[in-house]
Amino acid sequence: MAAAAAATAAAAASIRERQTVALKRMLNFNVPHIKNSTGEPVWKVLIYDRFGQDIISPLLSVKELRDMGITLHLLLHSDRDPIPDVPAVYFVMPTEENIDRMCQDLRNQLYESYYLNFISAISRSKLEDIANAALAASAVTQVAKVFDQYLNFITLEDDMFVLCNQNKELVSYRAINRPDITDTEMETVMDTIVDSLFCFFVTLGAVPIIRCSRGTAAEMVAVKLDKKLRENLRDARNSLFTGDTLGAGQFSFQRPLLVLVDRNIDLATPLHHTWTYQALVHDVLDFHLNRVNLEESSGVENSPAGARPKRKNKKSYDLTPVDKFWQKHKGSPFPEVAESVQQELESYRAQEDEVKRLKSIMGLEGEDEGAISMLSDNTAKLTSAVSSLPELLEKKRLIDLHTNVATAVLEHIKARKLDVYFEYEEKIMSKTTLDKSLLDIISDPDAGTPEDKMRLFLIYYISTQQAPSEADLEQYKKALTDAGCNLNPLQYIKQWKAFTKMASAPASYGSTTTKPMGLLSRVMNTGSQFVMEGVKNLVLKQQNLPVTRILDNLMEMKSNPETDDYRYFDPKMLRGNDSSVPRNKNPFQEAIVFVVGGGNYIEYQNLVDYIKGKQGKHILYGCSGLFNATQFIKQLSQLGQK
Amino acid sequence: MAVDITLLFRASVKTVKTRNKALGVAVGGGVDGSRDELFRRSPRPKGDFSSRAREVISHIGKLRDFLLEHRKDYINAYSHTMSEYGRMTDTERDQIDQDAQIFMRTCSEAIQQLRTEAHKEIHSQQVKEHRTAVLDFIEDYLKRVCKLYSEQRAIRVKRVVDKKRLSKLEPEPNTKTRESTSSEKVSQSPSKDSEENPATEERPEKILAETQPELGTWGDGKGEDELSPEEIQMFEQENQRLIGEMNSLFDEVRQIEGRVVEISRLQEIFTEKVLQQEAEIDSIHQLVVGATENIKEGNEDIREVPHL
Repeated sequence: MAAAAAATAAAAASIRERQTVALKRMLNFNVPHIKNSTGEPVWKVLIYDRFGQDIISPLLSVKELRDMGITLHLLLHSDRDPIPDVPAVYFVMPTEENIDRMCQDLRNQLYESYYLNFISAISRSKLEDIANAALAASAVTQVAKVFDQYLNFITLEDDMFVLCNQNKELVSYRAINRPDITDTEMETVMDTIVDSLFCFFVTLGAVPIIRCSRGTAAEMVAVKLDKKLRENLRDARNSLFTGDTLGAGQFSFQRPLLVLVDRNIDLATPLHHTWTYQALVHDVLDFHLNRVNLEESSGVENSPAGARPKRKNKKSYDLTPVDKFWQKHKGSPFPEVAESVQQELESYRAQEDEVKRLKSIMGLEGEDEGAISMLSDNTAKLTSAVSSLPELLEKKRLIDLHTNVATAVLEHIKARKLDVYFEYEEKIMSKTTLDKSLLDIISDPDAGTPEDKMRLFLIYYISTQQAPSEADLEQYKKALTDAGCNLNPLQYIKQWKAFTKMASAPASYGSTTTKPMGLLSRVMNTGSQFVMEGVKNLVLKQQNLPVTRILDNLMEMKSNPETDDYRYFDPKMLRGNDSSVPRNKNPFQEAIVFVVGGGNYIEYQNLVDYIKGKQGKHILYGCSGLFNATQFIKQLSQLGQK
Repeated sequence: MAVDITLLFRASVKTVKTRNKALGVAVGGGVDGSRDELFRRSPRPKGDFSSRAREVISHIGKLRDFLLEHRKDYINAYSHTMSEYGRMTDTERDQIDQDAQIFMRTCSEAIQQLRTEAHKEIHSQQVKEHRTAVLDFIEDYLKRVCKLYSEQRAIRVKRVVDKKRLSKLEPEPNTKTRESTSSEKVSQSPSKDSEENPATEERPEKILAETQPELGTWGDGKGEDELSPEEIQMFEQENQRLIGEMNSLFDEVRQIEGRVVEISRLQEIFTEKVLQQEAEIDSIHQLVVGATENIKEGNEDIREVPHL
């Protein structure tokens, strides 16, 4: 049993690692990559399209690309000069324009040899187009290798992936739910999603058991995905899931569970104000593909009359897996983060002082014969200090980074009183009594942007069991319009509520408590930059969002009216039809939750917290696109306009 | 899991060829095509740069192979259990050192030369970037190979230092042969004691072990007749004292070894840093010169103004 647990743990070796390994192999001319310290350098050029760029950038930094021997990395559709005598690795989607451009490259003889890698499988006819161009350019022998990579998804975290970033609009919530969508358009959207999910499972190396709710877009995805997996498994010659393609330590005992949910089961969470670090950064700052862009305002300075006004500095930071602070604290509540940054800063300063002290000691003791033992000790210290300098510098860089990011977040929190919103929304969602009236908050000019107020009201509207009376509604509407909100999203939510039979509204949210001021005052007293004056120190209590609840039911095989009539698909079963009765009675060890219509970091964090308590269980979270509340409101607004 | 469709591609090429032939479309494929291909290839700049770059790489590769080949012999010097093949004299080692150094210097000069030349002819930004990166890779490769060399050199230097240090460890002017022999005997016991110590310790002890058998027999022959009980006791006391002394000396030796290694490491680091700074200082110098020129021109322009 221990071996099995170890096997599943190793196999659940993150999707991020698997994708990175696949990319590195591709960059190494499709041969597994082994590190050799005295190996000869080989150099190559990497050409990608925007899709390829989005896939590669969260996984490999420019330095890592350099280490793999890549001298230049260029966009496919840019002006590229011929570079003789160098192999080129292409990593593109097999679209019409890309193929055309590649054929043009072949004709123009840009590079020495070509290694073509398609992000998702290329069709036979397009392959023939390339063959044609290669023939015409007499370049057939130059095309060294052609591969289908099946990497059409973006991994952001060890256990989180999204389908795309470039054409988010195509598969967004709005695209799927708009009333004027035609059947063909829907088919295209579904095909895109299924293609990416298929690539995901090929890379993961497992065939899942699929469960989905009835009558939603998720069901369409499930049907198509099941069909695609089934076809591939039947085709014994070309099956991608045969034993040797699966890595060692596979899911030998159990297959993973894929839960397909539609965004419509829970519209409150994407609008929710949040309190954990990563989710806050996504909500409040410009954050995508693990990169956050900050605008630093350059203080109040008197510039001489007639001079140009000072420009704001733009800075962007990458939040990567090697950033230990980020890994540790991305799910922590914000006050904890502020405190930890302070602690890190202090420990860094202590180490810096240690190094400085060595300098003075060395200077003094240089001449003294009698203190030779001290000297040798200091030599050792000096060596360790010098070798630990890069580490120290790295630490300093991270501390600076997080100080800047956290400060930016804190500014937003203070300006918009996000802590108040958070607390209030939690109360609404958990149906505890509200101390302040909703109207008060909406009419309060200091608290938050119009968008914040809209979010709050929508959450209220979604969460209440009975709709507010007409008069009340009018009052709210007036208050909202006074505050400057656009009422279109409300239109849509009304329609939505009418459609969905949300008898059991998102219940069982649990409750949050405010912790006594002890923690807060300590932060303030240590002269911290993070003066959280007037900001409540809220502590999150474990609560299960709807998505987590559904997952819990399905994974633990609990009986629940909400999930009992979910459809069941097993692509490995010979009989094609599904049954509502799951064949497997054991709880699952491994699950993948996929939200069709878009997801967010709040749900992700919730799932991570849920699974932390369970030993040996593993969850992956995926969605068709990531968007924060601002973007979601925009989509709702567009939907409400029609 | 990636799928290799190269064969599929080649099959498509064949399909297209036959299709085009059937349709009577003139195409660059076929026998004529291959000839065209040859023609087309030769005028294409085969990349003077890249062929020279590859030459440098193969040179460095030769150096690496050379070092690796002789590495075992180079390091494994003092094992007196090895046959005559294994032994390497110091002169041979010096020769290797010298050769390696000359080689490294020529390689780095070649890289420098390539660097200056690479940027002369080409105007494309991308090609320049590419070449700079290639040269960086080659330099990095050279550094890694040089590390091999410097590692073995460091071990050798450490040994020489140890040897010198040990040669000073012989007891003070004690003309009595007996005492010198007893000191050798004494030295044998601490060497026995510390046999479990890490390999770095082995060499001083082996040196002593080497010298010991040579003198031990000599000592034995002399001492037999004349040892009286008092002298035995005296010798024993002296043994104890010498044991103590030797132990402390061995500790010192260990410390010195450690220090030398650290110092060499530090030196490496510092050299690297200084070399890096050199490049930066050069660029600063350029900038300053440029700035001076600009200021001069600016001054001249300003001087011209009143004349207008």
